[in-house]
Amino acid sequence: MMEKQIHLWAFLQGIGFFPSGWMHERARPEGVFSMDYYARVAKLAEQGCFDAIVFGDQLQSRGAGGRTPERMAMPTLDPVSLLTAMAAVTDHVGLVATVSTSYNTPEMLAERFGAMERISGGRAGWNIVTTAHPATAPNFGEDDLPPKDERYRRAKEVVAKACELWAAMDREGPMLPQGRPVLVQAGQSPDGRDFAARTAEAIFCPAANIEAGIDFRNDLRSRVADVGRNPDGVRIMPGLSCVLGGSEEEARATHAAILDLADDALAIEYLSESLGCDLTAFDPLGMIPVETILDQTILPRADIARAITPAQEKGTPLGAFAANFMRHPRGHNVFLGTPEQMADMMIEWRDAGACDGFTLQPSYMPGGLEDFVEQVVPILQKRGRLRTEYPGTTLRETLGLSAREAVTA
Amino acid sequence: MTRPFILSASIAEATFAVPEIAAPILRAAEAAGLDLLVMGRSGMRPFDAQVLLAWAAPMTSRLGLVATVPASNAHPFHVARALSAIDFLSAGRTGWSVIPEGAEDGMAEDMVGAARALWDGWGSDTLILDKASGRYLDAAKVHASNYEGPFFKVAGPVNAMRPPLGHPLLVVDGDDPIAISDADLALIGEDGAAPAATKRLLKVSPEADVASLVARFEAAEIDGLHFTLTDAAAQLPEIGARFASLVKDRANGAGDLRRRLGLPIPQTASNQPGGAVIPENA
Repeated sequence: MMEKQIHLWAFLQGIGFFPSGWMHERARPEGVFSMDYYARVAKLAEQGCFDAIVFGDQLQSRGAGGRTPERMAMPTLDPVSLLTAMAAVTDHVGLVATVSTSYNTPEMLAERFGAMERISGGRAGWNIVTTAHPATAPNFGEDDLPPKDERYRRAKEVVAKACELWAAMDREGPMLPQGRPVLVQAGQSPDGRDFAARTAEAIFCPAANIEAGIDFRNDLRSRVADVGRNPDGVRIMPGLSCVLGGSEEEARATHAAILDLADDALAIEYLSESLGCDLTAFDPLGMIPVETILDQTILPRADIARAITPAQEKGTPLGAFAANFMRHPRGHNVFLGTPEQMADMMIEWRDAGACDGFTLQPSYMPGGLEDFVEQVVPILQKRGRLRTEYPGTTLRETLGLSAREAVTA
Repeated sequence: MTRPFILSASIAEATFAVPEIAAPILRAAEAAGLDLLVMGRSGMRPFDAQVLLAWAAPMTSRLGLVATVPASNAHPFHVARALSAIDFLSAGRTGWSVIPEGAEDGMAEDMVGAARALWDGWGSDTLILDKASGRYLDAAKVHASNYEGPFFKVAGPVNAMRPPLGHPLLVVDGDDPIAISDADLALIGEDGAAPAATKRLLKVSPEADVASLVARFEAAEIDGLHFTLTDAAAQLPEIGARFASLVKDRANGAGDLRRRLGLPIPQTASNQPGGAVIPENA
């Protein structure tokens, strides 16, 4: 019997997973403004037999308290444009763009993804998000985001309507190669998980360790079964970052060196963005200004209080707290070790039912992707866990899904 | 610099959204010496001009890529971001043409104003990209646009970047005009409206008499020609055969479309004259 296959996605927004990644000697911060760079990384992903390249997206203006950060990389170019350009220079790799249901009409979405689906020859995917950052609203003429339950209600309607529009396009012809784009979701809350269970064919999530992965996947699969869908028709793809080395010690040293590229000023800018409150004027050696944060944050206060209270009680200074906060960006698993160890870990997760594959988030770009493709991909292929060629041309075929699955409304 | 003779064409064939058909059309457009390809509005869906031009960017090297943008069912924040991305992907070869298409009066003009304000929220020299000092950008060069028009209210700054052209070329069509007095290019008919613009391209058929058009160009009555394609695969080679001699001496074949076509950003349109500069050797 064939051993369980590992699906690979590459999350390539930005210049790497770590906020300091853009300063690494093998990062190319100027590259993300050129087609040469996108052609290079798209071909690398295809060389590594990745299912898909994924770009996240945000619609808020960067800059807590109105101050644009100076030390954080900010190449948030439009993901649909970048991915569609990458389609022109590749033949197989899927292209998954994150687009909001709260700030687009179904007609806009259907038109954009319909064109992307057709011109890419059936390789389009839509990572459906409802947009959670309050600073988005003023960019669309509004004061506040709609409440969460309303956003999810709208998301459901928008997806259903967009699917109707794609069905109409498909009927009129020429056929959309996959009928419609692959639907992807990343919600973590109960609302988000239920929406994913009803809608998504692939799910991107954080899982800091194998137990968290197993819990998440089991929970999602049972939610999928509860709404009458086949759990085997949904790919669960937790995020995974890594720093590789010839030995575990070397990988740890390289990881430490990447973190050391960040000074207090970058760490505090990163924390400011994450807390939705400008902390750049505070002394890194002083106490965490909890009252200011809770008073000024535009994010939900209870969540922010939970994140900072333990450090405040321990008396951790602001700079140290910020530096530690930056060590674990966004709750994803960060693997440190040799390529063989990484392949072992990935196989262990897959066999334990912690995932269907991984969404690789290179620690800096393009060097981190190059290392993974050159060093880890061949090991996974040799062990029979990763394909050596694509099964077809559409993303659905690559994911091993049925050609056309209807949305359960 | 000698005044360039500009060749432009628009295409709205629904089959352009199919890659096997689009690729040879793009090759033919470049071979014919076209400066601009205007991706129009097709009756068939989907035909998202911005998406199709993002795909066209790496398939071409000198062709200007102009997206027709309907003012209805679009938002300037999304449009400004997409065109910024396409302008980087094409190394400064992007344009746009906003058409009313079902929108209320004034909405197309509001779209232009809002997108321009978003692009102007970023200075040409905002990016620093200095690994040694850790400074990625100069925050003093970034401004919230706080644009407020009759239809669109957009705080900004837009989370993209000033495009390499500063503003993509703005093209207005005399047959579907909008009230913008400082467009870069106007497409004009023999008898139709002639919107104000830096340069004027006369709409002609591929069979038009070349010598008389050259005379009108030399008299500075027009700056070039625009063809409305109905069968691109057949018409582009014909256009190339009859008109390519007018553009054959063009210097600087690739790159920055504004410099190549002699179209600086109109002073009325922007608070700065140039496009984004990406520091080398970061």
